[in-house]
Amino acid sequence: MAQITLKNVSKRFDDEYVVNNMNLTVKDGSFTVLVGPSGCGKSTTLRMIAGLEQVSEGEIWVDDECVNDVSPGKRDVAMVFQNYALYPTMTVKGNIEFGLTNKKVPKKERESLINDIASIVGLENHLYKKPQTLSGGQRQRVALARAMVKKPKVFILDEPLSNLDAKLRSQMRTELIQLHQRLGTTFIYVTHDQVEAMSMGDEIVLLNKGEIQQNDSPMNVYHYPVNVFSAEFIGTPAMNVFLMEKIMPYTSNIDKDAHYVGFRPEHAAILTTQPYEDSHCITLQGQLLTRETLGSETIYQIKHRAGNFTVKSFLPPLEENNKNVFVSIPYEKLYFFDENKEQDRDHHWKQASSLTVEGM
Amino acid sequence: MKSRLPINIINGAGMIIVVVLFLMPFVWMVSTSFKTLGETMTFPPVWFPDQFLWENFIKAWNSGPFLRYFFNSVVVTFGILVLQFCTIIPAAYAFARYTFKGDRFFFGLTMITLMIPPQLIFLPVYLQMSSWGLLDSLWALILPFASSAFGIFLLRQSFKQVPEELLEAARLDEASEGKIILKIMIPMAKPVLITFALFSFITHWNDYFWPLVMTTSDSARTLPLGISKLREVEGGVAWNILMAGNMILVIPILIVFFFAQRQIIRAFVYTGVK
Amino acid sequence: MIGKKAFPYAMITPSMIVFCLFFIYPIGYMIYLSLHDWNFVSPVKDFVGLSNFTSLFSEQEFLEVMRNSLVYTVLTVTLTTGTSLGLAVWLNKQGIVYRFVQGAMFSPHIISLVSISMLWMWLMDPDYGLLNWFLGLFGLPESPWLTDPSTSLLSLVLVAVWKGIGFNALVFIAGLQSIPRDMYEAASLDDATWFRTFWKITLPMLSPTLFFLIIINVISSFQVFETIAIMTQGGPINSTNTLVFYIYEYGFNFFKIGYASAAGVLLLIVVSVMTFFYFRLLSVKVHYR
Repeated sequence: MAQITLKNVSKRFDDEYVVNNMNLTVKDGSFTVLVGPSGCGKSTTLRMIAGLEQVSEGEIWVDDECVNDVSPGKRDVAMVFQNYALYPTMTVKGNIEFGLTNKKVPKKERESLINDIASIVGLENHLYKKPQTLSGGQRQRVALARAMVKKPKVFILDEPLSNLDAKLRSQMRTELIQLHQRLGTTFIYVTHDQVEAMSMGDEIVLLNKGEIQQNDSPMNVYHYPVNVFSAEFIGTPAMNVFLMEKIMPYTSNIDKDAHYVGFRPEHAAILTTQPYEDSHCITLQGQLLTRETLGSETIYQIKHRAGNFTVKSFLPPLEENNKNVFVSIPYEKLYFFDENKEQDRDHHWKQASSLTVEGM
Repeated sequence: MKSRLPINIINGAGMIIVVVLFLMPFVWMVSTSFKTLGETMTFPPVWFPDQFLWENFIKAWNSGPFLRYFFNSVVVTFGILVLQFCTIIPAAYAFARYTFKGDRFFFGLTMITLMIPPQLIFLPVYLQMSSWGLLDSLWALILPFASSAFGIFLLRQSFKQVPEELLEAARLDEASEGKIILKIMIPMAKPVLITFALFSFITHWNDYFWPLVMTTSDSARTLPLGISKLREVEGGVAWNILMAGNMILVIPILIVFFFAQRQIIRAFVYTGVK
Repeated sequence: MIGKKAFPYAMITPSMIVFCLFFIYPIGYMIYLSLHDWNFVSPVKDFVGLSNFTSLFSEQEFLEVMRNSLVYTVLTVTLTTGTSLGLAVWLNKQGIVYRFVQGAMFSPHIISLVSISMLWMWLMDPDYGLLNWFLGLFGLPESPWLTDPSTSLLSLVLVAVWKGIGFNALVFIAGLQSIPRDMYEAASLDDATWFRTFWKITLPMLSPTLFFLIIINVISSFQVFETIAIMTQGGPINSTNTLVFYIYEYGFNFFKIGYASAAGVLLLIVVSVMTFFYFRLLSVKVHYR
């Protein structure tokens, strides 16, 4: 168990910064998810923590030890790779045992460790098979077992579920959460999938272009996005964001100093008739472009003079011929950002208080 | 369906002719090796000797220090093989897995070496060996082939195909570089290593040119040289003994070929398709 | 403990020492020797400039050697490549029978040249040889084979072709099998004849393999030594004396080291030119992919 601290860490390839001056603390025992679009530097960060990549600048600390010059094998981290990286010439048992042998763990202890782990991940009957003969899910378990058996201070998982089909992925997701609770070890998990990030992490680190955008709990990232990127990345469909001046003509009661305004698709109500004038809501009249029915919910694309936007509704889907619709959004559900696309501080606390009330 | 029959016959007949053209000489070699001297000197030739003269083989074997030749051949072939494995595996690993200053230069050097045939440099190497006092020793036969550019080339290709993730996993498992090579790279490159071993073994077992140039006495001569000396028997060539001697050289290779035809063909054709 | 930076160098060092000592350095040494007059025992090597080369080319024997090498190479390469291409197209099929035929064709390639030379000497024996008996069966006149200057070089070509066909054919087959099947399927949908398919698809797709084989066949034909040393010793009347045998004789029997080295440099030039083409070809091949 360990706390990991990144102090002003940068990574350059030639002159290009992949990770730029990153400061991050991964709390002991947390399930921290690094999430972001491809090329945001999340995998590089992960690999620097594992020691597979040298840092260009800055320091990485595990507890109270700077590990910059510690080789990967000595950092007490275990990693689960995207493609599992199982040794194809060894049996399942050989794969799990390899790290232990290198650590010169006595044979007797190795045997009992392997048996324990195998029963945890349910591989007892496959110990003497080669990885190539196993299914995707089983290989995933071997990779987990190989990492777990070393009892590392930190678990590092690099998009471990991306090679599994949808059903198996959601199953493994729950299993990983249970595993984390059971081990209590620090998990650092990389994914580009925000659903995975939201559902698994107790701490989300949102990255873009080598810099941390937001670092908070999943619910806080969802409710209080600190900037437009964060607001648009977390949540499906993405938040609708408009230039303030485009929306101004359709409303009268908004402060004028914000530069951008946004609302989440699920916070808007969609109506076929004009609602009564309501001073707590902003109402936009638009045309229905498309309708995606997903069963429990319906997603509408709406054309508006300020720009197209999305609305998600949990009500029964509207008839297709309702071309003209009215969308109303409560003021308290609006998000405001300044010209740097950062959260507008004045509005921040206003919303926070209203949401807190709502949450109770 | 009717029209296929004559084509099949022509096809089959053609293949029989091809097989005869390539295998008949060997059949003739076997048949001659069992004949009496008299039977070799009849015209038209006889295909089957009256009785099989096994003593031709004993005569051939006893006509020179063949145990010595055989021993030398084994030492040279396996000596080369062992040294090559010790040199090409690390070199191929470095070329496949590391970028270092001058790596292109050194790999270029390897590729140039790949193209230099022994026939081109035997004279200067001979002079070198003579100045080191290594002429007429097994060292002169082994050392120049202690590494193989072809082997490095082949193995590098195969090492390159090992996914990087696998090596990273091993490093996280605290494996040393030596252990990575031994436990991961070599097992994964096993087919290529076998292929190369067959190629190298056959090449050096058969080699006549290099031992001819580098040796002057029986103490360092190898089997092919010994066999070629059978020709210099007094009183004309005894073809039956000569063919019996060549059987000693050819049979082991043919047996290996019979059991590992696929690998051997791949080993040699690899040179062609690289 | 070796430092991280030094590690790859340590890994390649043994091989690089071998290559430099026994391949790269000797080439330089040979060029150096080719500019000197030396008899191997004398302590001094006299610098003579290019005179070794000029006297080589003014000598009737050497000109014959070059002509022999050239004729041998041209004949061997064209016959081997042409025949094996035909055989490859014909025998490029799956199945145990075809595997056996391919294996039979290939077998001479793994047999020592010593045995091949002796076997063919015996087959070509003018009095009791199987080949003359064979010619007789078909009512053809007997041939003197290796014993007459007019047929000796051709006899050596025959042996080389016999030995080389199997290897060449199998390389061609490997090349043929790498041609995507759907190209043939497309051609057959376009109703192309077999002949047109061969010219327009097979041959162009096979051209890298073809050039490759021509290049390595030229290099290896210019180096022919074993068959000559065992079967003819360059004779009769110098009719089968070729470059490497000439170098060998001048170096080891006549001790004219400078002279032999000069001939070696000529061989080096041939090999270098061919190698240049080979690497050009490799880079083109890489471009294709």
